[in-house]
Amino acid sequence: MLDKRLLVVSGKGGVGKSAVSAGLAQLATRQGKRVLVIDMGESAGLAAHLGVRDLVFDPIEVRPDLHAMRLIRSDSLIEYLTLQLSLKGLNRFSRVARAFDALATAAPAVREIISIGKVLWEVRERKWDLVIADAPPTGQIGSYLRAPRSISELVPTGRIERQAAWMGETLRDPDSTEMVIVSLAEELPTTETRQTLAWLETNELVPEPMVITNRVVPELATAAKGRGPVRDAAIHHRSVYVEQQKWLSELPPHVELPYLFGLLTPTEVAARLSDALEESL
Amino acid sequence: MTEAVLVTGAGGVGKTTVSAAIGVSLARAGLRTLVLTVDPARRLASALGLGDELGSEPFPHPDEPNLWAAMLDSTQSWRSVAIRHADPDVAARLVNNEFFLAASQHFPASQSYAAADQAATFVEAGAWDVVVVDTPPSAGGIDFFTAPADMADLVGGRLLRWLTGGPLPGRRFFYRTAAKPVLRIADSVLGSNLLERVAEFLLDLRTTYDGVADRGRQIEALLSRAKTLVVTTADPAPITEAARFYRDLPEVGSVPAAVIFNRSLPQEWIGFEPPDDTDTKLVENLARWASESLRQSDARAEFGAVHKAVVATIPWVAEPPTDLDGLAGLLAETEELTARSLKLEPKRKMGA
Repeated sequence: MLDKRLLVVSGKGGVGKSAVSAGLAQLATRQGKRVLVIDMGESAGLAAHLGVRDLVFDPIEVRPDLHAMRLIRSDSLIEYLTLQLSLKGLNRFSRVARAFDALATAAPAVREIISIGKVLWEVRERKWDLVIADAPPTGQIGSYLRAPRSISELVPTGRIERQAAWMGETLRDPDSTEMVIVSLAEELPTTETRQTLAWLETNELVPEPMVITNRVVPELATAAKGRGPVRDAAIHHRSVYVEQQKWLSELPPHVELPYLFGLLTPTEVAARLSDALEESL
Repeated sequence: MTEAVLVTGAGGVGKTTVSAAIGVSLARAGLRTLVLTVDPARRLASALGLGDELGSEPFPHPDEPNLWAAMLDSTQSWRSVAIRHADPDVAARLVNNEFFLAASQHFPASQSYAAADQAATFVEAGAWDVVVVDTPPSAGGIDFFTAPADMADLVGGRLLRWLTGGPLPGRRFFYRTAAKPVLRIADSVLGSNLLERVAEFLLDLRTTYDGVADRGRQIEALLSRAKTLVVTTADPAPITEAARFYRDLPEVGSVPAAVIFNRSLPQEWIGFEPPDDTDTKLVENLARWASESLRQSDARAEFGAVHKAVVATIPWVAEPPTDLDGLAGLLAETEELTARSLKLEPKRKMGA
């Protein structure tokens, strides 16, 4: 999976998408790759897992060969317009940028194509061995993946439409793109993961996705004996385990990452997940 | 007067279940209570007396005399704005517009606005002592509270001004501006007179402004005097979201009444010394869950201190409750969320 050029990491909110993205990025870097990881959302999660205070639009090298940036739509738009139209001196408050922002609110797919387009542009430029997108949650990911197709339907001609074609191709190409869906062994994330898998299969926008289930507890290989807290904690563990197994059985083959107990910093979480990913991939 | 209790917080923390539990406990304290819920799991819906036909009309619970429940439906949000606040022919044009759906999806405040509008309608009806609102998952932070103003701002022409770069245009004016450089650039990138089509849509949308702005002010007034509860778990992501509520709510004239840490593990596990002859695996198991409990306990204490917050805890339960007793039982030990602690009193009968 790390031999691809682009990993799109999505999942229901709160499942640990950013931690898994950071873990994958660290693992790829350890394997000698030059990596760019892109925060496509607005949470501070990815930055914390990479051990930096904040991310900006220009990639920063958070450790050797591991670069990270935040996708800011207005910056991405300005970059696009500057490159495409050879316009100079645009800034994010310019009239052109604001007019586009207004458009992007009202017109379907314009907003999404600007975001996913920047990600795909970084893939196309080949400055990196691997680009990892810490992508929007599964509830929204469809409109991003579908953006190239939506644009073609919306505007039969125009510059964006011509670019939508190669964007769609890159996303569909199994040699370049892998879709990763992070899930939890709980009811709502499992349901949403299954819905997303079904939607992706129908729409054929990306190759067959990989599912990573986060925070899975191991089996407690003994009976819940004793009394007081010893017994209560064993019963607690058992009930979490049984519940998790029920939901895991509803998912297609997937990679499982361990539940991390106790107080860990975000960077420790990412490092532990990266080790666990190395074992299971 | 009907009181409103707004239950907020990040997605996935059990907000819907907590809202239902608070509703049941208030009903059992003698308050005529309406629970407005968003997307409940099937078992929870049936615990609330809502059958397969989840409706947006309040439904009296068959077994709990003071309890009503209804669904908040935010999917129809823009549709209802158009139908309520635009002339019939404009409304018809709007709901059939190709941009209508995209705009409503791109503007999450519109869903919050619709939910707040429905909640406000039930509070204004005056038929209940308290309305408990399970707020829809937010795009982040307090958008439920700012939705009325954001919505008015949107339909009032912010986008149009950005599009044309000048004063608000009339319809005819807009066609003349189609030759403006800004629009030419946009059209060369996007093609197909897309701008003009979008502007037509925005001009129609703008006719709803007066209605949306008036209604927005009424909704804001209700929201600012509601009691707000912030639900979280002890995990970092929802705590960050809870902290945003504590930081931002004062800006809209509201202060959270309490933060609720849901799914809390027993504190007596922390530092407990198992007898010497205990199975090693069980000792290890207690140790790892005790470390979880300690992490949670630290997180609660820190949140309370940093935000000067009233901290309520709800214990972890193996199975989400599926009946009234189970829901009420969730709050059995939670002093901070009783009707008295929340300063909610049953309405006194008027007259003799």
